[in-house]
Amino acid sequence: MRSYLSPRVSFFGTQRLLLPLVAAIALCTSGCATRPPADDPDAIADFEQTNDPLEPTNRVFYAINNGLDTVILRPLALGYRAVVPGQVREGIHNVLANLGTPVVLGNDILSGKPRRAGDTTMRFLINTTAGVLGIFDVAAKWGYKEHDADFGMTMANWGVPEGPFLFLPVLGPTDPRDAAGFGVDIAMDPFTWVGPPSSTGVTVFKWTRYGLNAVDSRERFLDPIDQIKKTALDPYATFRSLFRQHRHAQIEELRNDHRATVPAWFPRQPATPAEH
Amino acid sequence: MIDRRHILTLTALGLMAAPLSAMAQSTDKAASFVKSTGDKLVAVVNGPGSISSKRAAMTQIINADVDVDGIGRFCLGRYWKLASPEQQKQYLTLFHEVLVTNITAKLGEYQGVKFTLGRSKPQDEEAVVSTTVERPNNAPTAVDWIIANPSADPKIIDVVAEGTSLRLTQRQDYGSYLTHNNNNIDALIAAMKNQISQSG
Repeated sequence: MRSYLSPRVSFFGTQRLLLPLVAAIALCTSGCATRPPADDPDAIADFEQTNDPLEPTNRVFYAINNGLDTVILRPLALGYRAVVPGQVREGIHNVLANLGTPVVLGNDILSGKPRRAGDTTMRFLINTTAGVLGIFDVAAKWGYKEHDADFGMTMANWGVPEGPFLFLPVLGPTDPRDAAGFGVDIAMDPFTWVGPPSSTGVTVFKWTRYGLNAVDSRERFLDPIDQIKKTALDPYATFRSLFRQHRHAQIEELRNDHRATVPAWFPRQPATPAEH
Repeated sequence: MIDRRHILTLTALGLMAAPLSAMAQSTDKAASFVKSTGDKLVAVVNGPGSISSKRAAMTQIINADVDVDGIGRFCLGRYWKLASPEQQKQYLTLFHEVLVTNITAKLGEYQGVKFTLGRSKPQDEEAVVSTTVERPNNAPTAVDWIIANPSADPKIIDVVAEGTSLRLTQRQDYGSYLTHNNNNIDALIAAMKNQISQSG
């Protein structure tokens, strides 16, 4: 199968350096998946590939999240889709994405990908001005396509292993590395630090942004999630598989972005004839 | 010295060229195969006709161009060996139906779909053909088609959408279901039957 499914070698050597994992091991005393018997190597291989030692605990959180989603977030997303026209939703999505560019840029730089950092900078400059505060994604039409970047991906690029699967309250499917990365992204976000905490305007802005982000992303996944819940025999296992595969693909794409640092529009020196 | 080096380079290039052109040929064949299958699918999805006639047309395309039995065996993973021949037969028949049902369930969602062919490259014995699928009001999706036997008898063995493999996801779904049902393949067969009757 695809190369990203093979275990990654890391200079950290061991996953135990990750603090969240230690917490996870502590939790494990309360609910751990049972390892198949030693005389069944195929079953053990499956168990290790699934890498979900906290499955019973994770399933509890999955059930809680799923319940909350059914009564709160999904109805909100359905309402949002029914009330707000598609083009307006697209505009709101673009504004939210534009507000997220500082974190994306920070991670592009930390990943050591100058062309990605350049794309993000151009996207921010173009979309904030020509795109009217980010409403229109003009930059994509001009060749600066959007890409994903977060601190979990950055750490993956550095060689930090993902660790076992986790399903966390509110956050959903993740792993120790990406959960830690989520925290770092919040700390990296300039909007976390703007204004005095007592300012009502700032507080309203922050929570409106968080809320809109949640409803916007839920609305975009309405159909696929409904479809999975309808067709999967074990939706939890299906979400686990999809999360991991998508994550690995994002990281693989980041790793394979070897575009030259000199952009295409930069005047090139005439190629010197090769000497023999 | 110079001449010898040139001759060596030329010989090396000549040696490389033969397998390279064979590989290029098979990926080209895979690409045109994906193009023709994709065109057929798009024509059915966007074409006129009732859901049931579309379903029939879809089944025909899937049976002709997709290695459903191969995918089915892959999805059962290590349980394939554990299943009795009778269970294997029953499972594959149901797998065909589940696949067609799941695909046709998305027909409405894909109204107005179009796709553009990207690059194709060899991967082990197979060929990977990249496409971009566009639907109205949706961001373009990167979809890779994995083609087995690209030069002789091309068949789709996997569809990878935004990095998520259809058959791998299905295998992990079935695998988890079986683990939680005492590895009982009859339980899986019953669940699949139930799924088909509910959607039918």
